Amino acid sequence: MRYGMVIDLKRCIGCHGCQIACKAENGTRPGTLWARVLEQELGTFPNVRRFSLPLLCQHCRLAPCVEVCPTGATQKRADGIVTIDSDKCVGCRYCLMVCAYGSRHYQAEPWTYFPGNGVNPYEAMAYASHPTGVVEKCDLCLSRVERGLQPACVVACPAKARTFGDLHDRHSDVTRLIDERGAFRLREDTGACPSIFYLPP
Amino acid sequence: MPSIDALDQRLQDLTLPYRPQREWIEGRGLLVVIAHFFSGVGAGIWLFSLALDYDAGLIISIVVMAVLAGGAHLAFLGRWQRFWRMILRPHSSWISRGLLGIALFLTGAILYVLPGVRDTTFGSAMLAVSILGMALILLQKGFVYLVSKAIPFWNISLLPFLHIAYALRGGAALLLIVAAAAGEVFDIDLLEVIKLWVVVSSAVLVLLYLVLANNAGPAAKRSLQELVAGRISPAFHGGAIFLGLVIPIFLGTIGSTAGLWRGLLAVVGLSSLAGDFFVQYCIVKAGIYLPIVGELPPARSYRGRPRLF
Repeated sequence: MRYGMVIDLKRCIGCHGCQIACKAENGTRPGTLWARVLEQELGTFPNVRRFSLPLLCQHCRLAPCVEVCPTGATQKRADGIVTIDSDKCVGCRYCLMVCAYGSRHYQAEPWTYFPGNGVNPYEAMAYASHPTGVVEKCDLCLSRVERGLQPACVVACPAKARTFGDLHDRHSDVTRLIDERGAFRLREDTGACPSIFYLPP
Repeated sequence: MPSIDALDQRLQDLTLPYRPQREWIEGRGLLVVIAHFFSGVGAGIWLFSLALDYDAGLIISIVVMAVLAGGAHLAFLGRWQRFWRMILRPHSSWISRGLLGIALFLTGAILYVLPGVRDTTFGSAMLAVSILGMALILLQKGFVYLVSKAIPFWNISLLPFLHIAYALRGGAALLLIVAAAAGEVFDIDLLEVIKLWVVVSSAVLVLLYLVLANNAGPAAKRSLQELVAGRISPAFHGGAIFLGLVIPIFLGTIGSTAGLWRGLLAVVGLSSLAGDFFVQYCIVKAGIYLPIVGELPPARSYRGRPRLF
């Protein structure tokens, strides 16, 4: 089994719903975006198209962040999900230097959404799993996946641009889309073999 | 109080096509450069002190490595209390190898300089351990950056050689300063010749490195522009080139023809040391990530619809 995702750039409407759903599900601090959307332009005038590019950790098969982590805090699970054990991370940020996707965030300071007013009960609960001094990133909503649910960004997408599934299953929706629609991956030249595929805009 | 500017900066960076790396250079990130600088200087001093049979240099090397390099490394970490975990993966991580190198170096070096140890078999073994640690440290300084394919300006195979050359320069420079302060206690003429040779060869390496960076893709070229004519150019031209290369080569040449005096030694040593720091600072600061979106494949043509791209 190898979990992966296919994102149809033709369907994505750039609503940033995935970003908000991720925030709500994982309760990340300000400045930390495990899921985000970039606005991109393609082509040259007058043949120009604007499209939205949803980004998240690419859960690479040959993840350089796993290789360089000196403590073993970053691990790749048997199902392909790359996780970080915050109890082992020392905050050296070497993984940030080798990730081409900007998917990792170092939590230097205890930023809150209402500076000067302390934290509200939701923040207090959410930030308990986001300690400072360590690196964090998307884990494909591991707690949901382990319960048989789909990641929050997939469920929340109103345009159904995201499809989540097993890349090793020849009959899954993700492999069908990859085969039929000519999917591509971001920055394949780094040799990391991401598990997130995109369908052309 | 949390810094809102830093928060805005981070969010803005995420939207840039060419994102500068900030974690290893800004704020406490500067400690990474300081740590690598002092670990190189410490290793260089150890090597030259052994070659010149200069005991005080050995002690200085240990102090520089343990207090300055080690301290800066620890101060940088988000959770320094767990630093021992960083030695657990030397098979894949250059940070682990670096920490292993420092541990081997300090163990071997401290035991080697203890009274009565040096001329024994145990002393020879400890000398070998310290040299092994020193070699690991010298290699780690360059390779730790080299493995990052995400930052093409660092992913240039010449980088480890550049770092080794600058580590040796740093060691020789600090010894020159010590010699100026303490009077002649070892073969200064020999050290000055070595120093001049290392400075000239590192100038050639810097030039080669910049040429290679110019051909290493758009992100590396962007880094090069930042270095030569952008936000980092004052540090590069003033620190790395003028202080680090022009002054040492000019004064070194004068010294080799007109003779050496203490003031000249001190100026050569200080300017060279500052230049060494600025080279490392500039290379780290100029690191720019690959654009996340490279070449996208063309959209497939659909029924009745023109294929635009």
